[in-house]
Amino acid sequence: MKQWKLLSWALAFALALTPVLGAAAETVVELPRNETLYFAGQQWGSVKGWNPLSSDNNNAMALANSGGGSRIIMFETLYMYNMLDGSMTPLLADGDYVWNEDQTEMTVKLKAAAKWSDGTPVTAEDVAYSFDTYVKVGNGLGTGYAPYIDRIEVVDPSTFIIKAKLTEEGKATNPLMLLVFLGDAYIAQKAWIQKVEERTGGDPTAMKLDPGDDVVWSGPYTKYYTDDQRVILVRDDNYWGQDASMWGKLPVPKYLAHAMFADNNAGQVAFAAGQVDVCQQFISNVQDLWLKENLPISTYIPEAPYGICVNMPTAWYNLSKPGLDNVAVRKAIAMAVDYDMIIANAMTNQSPTFEQVPRSLMNPTPGEQAMYDHEAVKDLQWAGNDIEGAKKLLDDAGIVDTDGDGIREYNGQKLSFNACAPNGWTDWMAAMEIVAAAGANIGIEITTLYPEWSVYQTVVTAASQDQYDIFMMWTDSATPAQPWGRMRMLMSSEFNGVEGNWSGNWGHFKNDRLDELVKLIPTVQDRDELVKLYTEAVEIYLTEVPSFSLMYRPDKFHAVNESVWTNYPEEGDGRNIPPLDLTDGYSIAALYDLELVNP
Amino acid sequence: MRNTFRQVFHSPRFVTGFVIFIFLLVTLIVYPLVSPGDPLEMIGLGSFFKPGTYISVLDAAGTPAQTLKLPDAADKRLSSMLSESDRVSMLRWLTAVGVPESEIDLQDTSSLLKLWRENYDAKARPKGMTMSDRRFYQRLDEQLESAGSAEALTLMRQDEAGENQEVGRVSGTDYVNVKDVANVRTLPLGTDNFGRDTLKELVSAMGTSIRIGLIAGSIATCIGLLLGLLSGYLGGFVDDLIMFFMNIFTVIPSFVILILITYSIGQAYRGADTVAIVIGLTSWVWTGRSVRSQVISLRNRDHVNLSRLSGHSLMRIILTDILPYIASYVVMAFILQISSGILAEAQLSLLGLGPRTTEVPTLGLMMNWAMLYSAHINGAWWAYFPVILVITLITFSLNLMNTGLDQVFNPTLRD
Repeated sequence: MKQWKLLSWALAFALALTPVLGAAAETVVELPRNETLYFAGQQWGSVKGWNPLSSDNNNAMALANSGGGSRIIMFETLYMYNMLDGSMTPLLADGDYVWNEDQTEMTVKLKAAAKWSDGTPVTAEDVAYSFDTYVKVGNGLGTGYAPYIDRIEVVDPSTFIIKAKLTEEGKATNPLMLLVFLGDAYIAQKAWIQKVEERTGGDPTAMKLDPGDDVVWSGPYTKYYTDDQRVILVRDDNYWGQDASMWGKLPVPKYLAHAMFADNNAGQVAFAAGQVDVCQQFISNVQDLWLKENLPISTYIPEAPYGICVNMPTAWYNLSKPGLDNVAVRKAIAMAVDYDMIIANAMTNQSPTFEQVPRSLMNPTPGEQAMYDHEAVKDLQWAGNDIEGAKKLLDDAGIVDTDGDGIREYNGQKLSFNACAPNGWTDWMAAMEIVAAAGANIGIEITTLYPEWSVYQTVVTAASQDQYDIFMMWTDSATPAQPWGRMRMLMSSEFNGVEGNWSGNWGHFKNDRLDELVKLIPTVQDRDELVKLYTEAVEIYLTEVPSFSLMYRPDKFHAVNESVWTNYPEEGDGRNIPPLDLTDGYSIAALYDLELVNP
Repeated sequence: MRNTFRQVFHSPRFVTGFVIFIFLLVTLIVYPLVSPGDPLEMIGLGSFFKPGTYISVLDAAGTPAQTLKLPDAADKRLSSMLSESDRVSMLRWLTAVGVPESEIDLQDTSSLLKLWRENYDAKARPKGMTMSDRRFYQRLDEQLESAGSAEALTLMRQDEAGENQEVGRVSGTDYVNVKDVANVRTLPLGTDNFGRDTLKELVSAMGTSIRIGLIAGSIATCIGLLLGLLSGYLGGFVDDLIMFFMNIFTVIPSFVILILITYSIGQAYRGADTVAIVIGLTSWVWTGRSVRSQVISLRNRDHVNLSRLSGHSLMRIILTDILPYIASYVVMAFILQISSGILAEAQLSLLGLGPRTTEVPTLGLMMNWAMLYSAHINGAWWAYFPVILVITLITFSLNLMNTGLDQVFNPTLRD
């Protein structure tokens, strides 16, 4: 009896001690709150590696390429793209890039101050070797730019020429993509790449699988600590950018930390509690956080749409599905959808309406809106929720309900479709519900379907896709190649029949004139001519309706909590820093301006 | 029979459960008559409107007004425009831009407003103020501008030429009777994330869920009863075989089987009835087991042996000599099956494995969407709490009826 008593006491004592011991283990990486900037919504799951040659690091804080401005915390690009005005600020590069006469070659110089973390200078050799290796190992950057960039020629250690791939007529296949390359491609160190080649025997697959633990970087932060709970980067106080030719100082926070949250709700709770400073998550009714809960939380713009919307989540039609091969059916569904409802309820007003920005191939930024003739396509644009108009369109096309069940028939077949979005992608799911409701209003049966993302992506990117009839996918955000890239993404038939197609035209549309325009537009430099060609493309898009955009969306959601840090970028503050979470493209400039609320 | 009913309705537990259940059923039938329309119609542009009565502003302005001189009207207007905490916030701005604290009287509204208008500048960035602070003051300033500046509002109408024509004036003492306003809509439980009338949706969802419960419960009880009777009465090889299957189903948690089956059916084929059938097919096991044990205890009773000796058929023995003795038990099991069917649907839908959406609302789907749109974090209790309450009431009433019946029919529990 006594033994039992003793044992239970010991057990109780051990249990009581556990949290204390656990906490002791945690303190090893406890960060000073006043020196740490916390993120949410970027990193999901544990980090796999730190290797810029691989496209599969699952390391969103360090390695995230984007045509609209890559994440340049640890690895750097030549220029920093700014989606607000389309400008390119030199980072590793020195001064502006220089095109030759017919835009087939681009000369770029490197900053003398630019150094690797091991103290050696960043040279033209590094740039050329990086590009060659990307192509060799076939990572995202390699396969993405090989069709446009022939090679990078070293002139001297600080100068190189990017030579475009040429068409048969001797023109660059697409000079715009060279521009995108400048703000997208990370530059890796030649010496380090050679080390990787040595230990892997130069095998491309093995090079991509290398975890890159000994990687050499050029950016202001580097890896500090990572486990399955969080990833922490620490400032490199020897960063070359404190040179007067670049920033002239170091970024303010000493640590950048990101906890791996279970889901959006967990991230939002931490954000509201002030444990997260910068949040890249869709927060429904974000304004409630400051209006109702009085939290020190803000978005880039104080009023709806709260951010800079540059992306157009789109519902694609599967054009091989009987019924959807008929343009009247496609247009009728698109006309009947209540977009105001989608924007107000699915997006909780975090998007301009289609009355404010009528539909086209262009995103709402003034630069892109100026690229087509608004008057010329006015009659083709629809505002939505036009039930009567949609019904009339179907009636006129002879698509009516013949057997009295309330659903119209086409060639003797009931018009019945599914509408799909990946499970858990809340705003897309809600948008599909509203599309389905529109179908019910005009006698077309639409039922929603939410497969898991792993299944969804395989089906959508397959060369022949016959499971989803109406389905959601994204379009390009703001990059130097827009709106050309988005036009191509929405309609170019070059992607038809491609297995694992991540590039666009998932509904398999084909229009010969449009395909000509996709080839022609990148080579045109005359602005009036460009506007004419883009207007023609918009006409084709709005007439043929191969897909229809449901909302406008920011490239990255950007909300900040000013419990600890302040002086974040905001609209009209004169700094021209885009709201991309202080990490992407020119948005990183904000890291240098941060201030403590209570210094 | 009548005696049995009398006994049953004398059980306070049964009666309480029965009354709750009937109340829910009556609501189910009556409410759609009171408030007709499609329960899935999206009416609100915006999500989670709070419960309350919504009055058309346009119609209210067009309704002839009466004059009411209410003594506290001005005070109320002022406090809704400028709360105590707003005054303290104004003090913070004013001192930050250098107004001496002694000059500020927080209770003197007009002088406070005057000071505010003189000193507030939307473009100023006083030291120590964050972006969210400055934006708070911008909103406060707008609120003061729009509400505080006018004693009366002028109503204008734009004519065809685009000119503004004055059509009326609204003063602080003008009131309209809500009954006179053409468009008034009461949303007792506000709206959900799609802008749907939550109460209307809830009543409709309750119907669907009860239907799912009834279908699932009937199927489970039928299968369980049939297998239990056969295996208990026949014994031998048939018993072994049926018990083999029952044991398999007992060992594997039925909810896991349920998840696997619903997932593999695919959402496209998952209507509310399909889900109900699947729930029924996976939850018969315990009914089967308990019916079997009851039958085994009945099998060798004298009247059954007598019946067997008289050469009655298997069917007749089961129907006339065994079933009546376990009927009360089966009814109770059926009630429990209904309530667990409703719960199973809610659980499945919460995991995103319930009936496909857009067609009918169910209680589980309502909770699923409320969770997806973070209603529980945003304080929109009306989107999920009433749903939980309804689920609780249904299962509570069914369980009460069950225990009530148990007290009547179970000799060991009888008082």
